[in-house]
Amino acid sequence: MIELEIGQEVEMEFGGKAKVLSVIGSGGQGIVYLVRFNGQKWALKWYDINKMAEPAAFRKNLQNNINDGPPSNKFLWPKYLTKEAEDGTFGYIMELKPDGFDSFVDILNTYKLEIDPLTGRAVKRPVKFNTLGAMVTCVINIVNAFRQLHRAGKSYQDLNDGGFFINVNTGAVLVCDCDNIAPDGSNFGIGGKPGYMAPEIVRGIAQPNVQTDKYSLAVVLFKLLFRGDPMEGEKVVRDVCLTESSELKHYGQNAVFVYDPNDDSNRPVRGIHDNIIKFWRIYPDYIKDAFIRSFTTGITDPSKRIIENEWQKLFIRLRSEIIQCGCGRTNFSSMFIHQNEKTFKCPKCGMEFVTIGFSNRDYRTPLYLGCKFYACEIIPESDDFSAVAGELVENKLKPGVLGIKNCSDRQWKAKMPDGVFYDIAPGKGFPVWQGLEIDFGEVKAHI
Amino acid sequence: MSNEHVTEPEVNETQNVSPLDDFDTAETVSTAPVSDDSILDFDDDPLSATSVSKKSLVIFFLIDTSGSMKGKKMGELNTVMEELIPEIRRVGEADTEVKVAVLTFSTEVRWMYSTPIPIEDFEWARLRASGVTSMGAAFKELNHRMSRNSFLSSPSLSFAPVIFLMTDGYPSDDYKEGLRELQTNSWYKFGLKAALGIGQEANDNILAEFTGSKDTVVHAYSGGQLAQMIKIIAVASSQIGSKSMTLSDDTNHELGEEDVFAAKQKLLGQQIQELVSTQTDGDDVPFDTGW
Repeated sequence: MIELEIGQEVEMEFGGKAKVLSVIGSGGQGIVYLVRFNGQKWALKWYDINKMAEPAAFRKNLQNNINDGPPSNKFLWPKYLTKEAEDGTFGYIMELKPDGFDSFVDILNTYKLEIDPLTGRAVKRPVKFNTLGAMVTCVINIVNAFRQLHRAGKSYQDLNDGGFFINVNTGAVLVCDCDNIAPDGSNFGIGGKPGYMAPEIVRGIAQPNVQTDKYSLAVVLFKLLFRGDPMEGEKVVRDVCLTESSELKHYGQNAVFVYDPNDDSNRPVRGIHDNIIKFWRIYPDYIKDAFIRSFTTGITDPSKRIIENEWQKLFIRLRSEIIQCGCGRTNFSSMFIHQNEKTFKCPKCGMEFVTIGFSNRDYRTPLYLGCKFYACEIIPESDDFSAVAGELVENKLKPGVLGIKNCSDRQWKAKMPDGVFYDIAPGKGFPVWQGLEIDFGEVKAHI
Repeated sequence: MSNEHVTEPEVNETQNVSPLDDFDTAETVSTAPVSDDSILDFDDDPLSATSVSKKSLVIFFLIDTSGSMKGKKMGELNTVMEELIPEIRRVGEADTEVKVAVLTFSTEVRWMYSTPIPIEDFEWARLRASGVTSMGAAFKELNHRMSRNSFLSSPSLSFAPVIFLMTDGYPSDDYKEGLRELQTNSWYKFGLKAALGIGQEANDNILAEFTGSKDTVVHAYSGGQLAQMIKIIAVASSQIGSKSMTLSDDTNHELGEEDVFAAKQKLLGQQIQELVSTQTDGDDVPFDTGW
């Protein structure tokens, strides 16, 4: 059975039946249905086993993944297998995508199509991140999800823009299509999506593994931030028609990054790649350098690709360098005037932002009303990038006086204007002043 | 196959436009400026992005609207084409902008719309059948329009087009001359070609001449089959056409140009054959019986 009928019942491996309610979508390997099982709605992926090289091995791998469970709650992981039908076909069920999440494809498109129930016409609804913080948080979440997966000894194999659901308000991420995930070194037939595949897979000299995942991850991150294809520039556009052999050339044998500092043959083209041209001017050098490394030396030498932990640190830094100016301008500090060593200035309204230096990093963090820092930034052993540890707030009793509130569960010490260190219990705060020093424990900070 | 020459030099050297190659040269491109220190002279909002640049894919439907198509065939065809459009809408995803162009041929050759229409906006205009089968003239018209100066004028990259021919009879004009002209067109050479013969009269050999191989030719003898086949071919070809090629890595050696040449057309042939073989005949009455 390649296709299931609406109303049909599919037997689950450990008993019970899933009843097919409707079609959700179809992909290269099969069709996804909405089903009812045990009184709850689920998504059922039903495979076209004709397209599989080894269905039995694929099923076994899926079974192993179900037994192992997801690396974290960021994955829409396979939950239960179905029984095999007489002709050997099978599927698995997983939880449905929760409300409030959009697909990465819709974000790249900047809109999604919704069918107007009255007219039956397709209507475009805009999809975009609500805040810069949500976008960078989303990037951190993606990187972190793959770090967790790789730490579990598995590779995703066909990382591409169809593999994520994203909440544009919070930056929360759900990794979907987890059925090709396999122990590093194994492959059950999936090659990947062109444009996202590592060049060595395109060339036919490697199979998907953790190293090729890292390349694909860099492409996903680049597309999310720069909104374009890192390998599509002048050199590719000159081909006019993207035939099979031009793809082999531009994404495999002779892939050239659009901003390769040593090869300007493939620069972005105005009128076609305007996003990349614009965003390349906005992002700070340490982000651009990481992409340059990924897409130059990282093309030929997989071991030079950026590891997830490094990406995570870079993007946690990027998030801390967002400045929300009172005039409404929100941007990275790289797009503010660097007034002096310790101050940024808004080029639009002239407002100045003092910075604070932490003992565990060599860059300074701008302070503005509402800015936050997170547990991982002040506790060396913490990997928690979502728990807010401190926030810059206005004193409720003394309007106009800004201070830092301890939102963590640990006691800090802060130096007050009288020159004395006071204990700052959770929930308490202290004013920001010229000589401020904070002692978080192992990490210290000073203005 | 007409396109079996492994290396077509004109495709790889677009700078060197030969008269046979109407991929043309991309106009002089203006690339990014060297970085500029001024901060406020451009829209610098990190959240305001336009859609990622898309590759375009035009799906050409060449439809026989001669008098013999009248009645059930045309009724089925109109209905299935209306239903098909929403299904094709989904195939482009974030990478591809899919457009549709419909060329009908009977005594005269006519485009449904004067330019390819984005699939999101496309509405099927119901066709009527009358007249003879000017297939050769249709091939010439297609050749004329498959050019960067005409229907394939995307500013960015294109995928090779999908060309889907549907006919129920023998051409009434010199189709060979038209096909010869079409075969010189690079978009045709690299395009994904498929054909559907409707009823007993359609000649599969002519259709295979058009597509370049028998694998991409199928036949429908009844209304139910007609609907099935149109959907199978249109969905499979637009899916393959709108995506980059997933290259097979089971060759155990580094892939060369010869390994990937016409890979999409071969894949389309395989998929069509697999899908066709799994379809059941159904009980419906053949077009040619019961009169």
